[in-house]
Amino acid sequence: MTDTAYMLVVIAAVALATFATRALPFIFFSRREPPQLLSTIEKNLPPMILLLLVIYCLKDVQWLEPPYGVPEIFTIAVVSALHIWRRNAMLSIFAGTGLYMLLVQLIF
Amino acid sequence: MTHESEKLLFSAFKTTLPVLFGYIPLGMAFGLLLAGAGYHWIYALVMSIFIYTGAGQFIAVALLAAGAQLMEFITVTLLINLRHSFYGLSLLDKFSGVGKVKPYLMFALTDETYALLTTTTVPEGASKARFYFYISALDHLYWIAGSVLGAVLGSMLRLNLEGLTFVLAALFVVLTIEQYYASRARFPFVAAISAGVLSLLLFSPDNMLLLSIVIGTFILIMYERTIKGKNSEPSSSDSAPREELL
Repeated sequence: MTDTAYMLVVIAAVALATFATRALPFIFFSRREPPQLLSTIEKNLPPMILLLLVIYCLKDVQWLEPPYGVPEIFTIAVVSALHIWRRNAMLSIFAGTGLYMLLVQLIF
Repeated sequence: MTHESEKLLFSAFKTTLPVLFGYIPLGMAFGLLLAGAGYHWIYALVMSIFIYTGAGQFIAVALLAAGAQLMEFITVTLLINLRHSFYGLSLLDKFSGVGKVKPYLMFALTDETYALLTTTTVPEGASKARFYFYISALDHLYWIAGSVLGAVLGSMLRLNLEGLTFVLAALFVVLTIEQYYASRARFPFVAAISAGVLSLLLFSPDNMLLLSIVIGTFILIMYERTIKGKNSEPSSSDSAPREELL
């Protein structure tokens, strides 16, 4: 498969998967009540997946070699503190990203 | 366009202003990331038109860079966007009777649009379908504009992008904190840390996301079963304080 064809197949698959998650409740629960087990898992799955995604972002960090994951842990601490303080998602995300870029480009 | 619909469009535009300021830079970050990975800006346009999911598109770039299999793209996308299914559950009533725009409203249901649709009241005498459509379509346009702008800038300028991918980690940290504020539940985070650390130790970095989600979901189900079992015991008069501890 060429690179272009591969990209288009990937985009189509991701687009369909995304639409499926958004359309599912309208398809299945338009005429009946959602089951109880689903609603209890529903509450707990998103926070779990999001924290797993944070951990996933640290998967390539070499903890036993310099700089021992210091830029990553420090930036995450700053983003968390900033977000708990101001609750401004854009400020937390972009200030944190800027800080991390400065750290890895200029200091470490 | 009639005067009435112009007024309604302007009202929708005012409603979506915070999303405009959020989606332009976040879309740009996605575009820059995609351009930085060596992809033409046209892919940013196509992805933002047809996929349209913030975290999902960022993860797609990461998976592309990692050379993931098609099934991994599909599974990870389904799992990451599963939360959108639960948005729909609370909009079943609101979206009934909106007519032919319903498929588009379903497609365009991002976190931010969901937040707007559930918190904004339709102006007096206006069409609900049209107002919801304007909000959804404006948000979608901001996202498309931001990502194309970022991708074009990223391919023109020789920027030092080292560290930009951390925007992903920052986004997920922020969303995790927001999830905590929304539910106050602690166990999902215990499950995530257990499953995440276990997967980092046991599996290769490329496989850890999928496997950690599977392990974490298993932990969650086992936990729910245990709590359910306790609560359904006949002598469960003392189960109320126990529930509060969760």
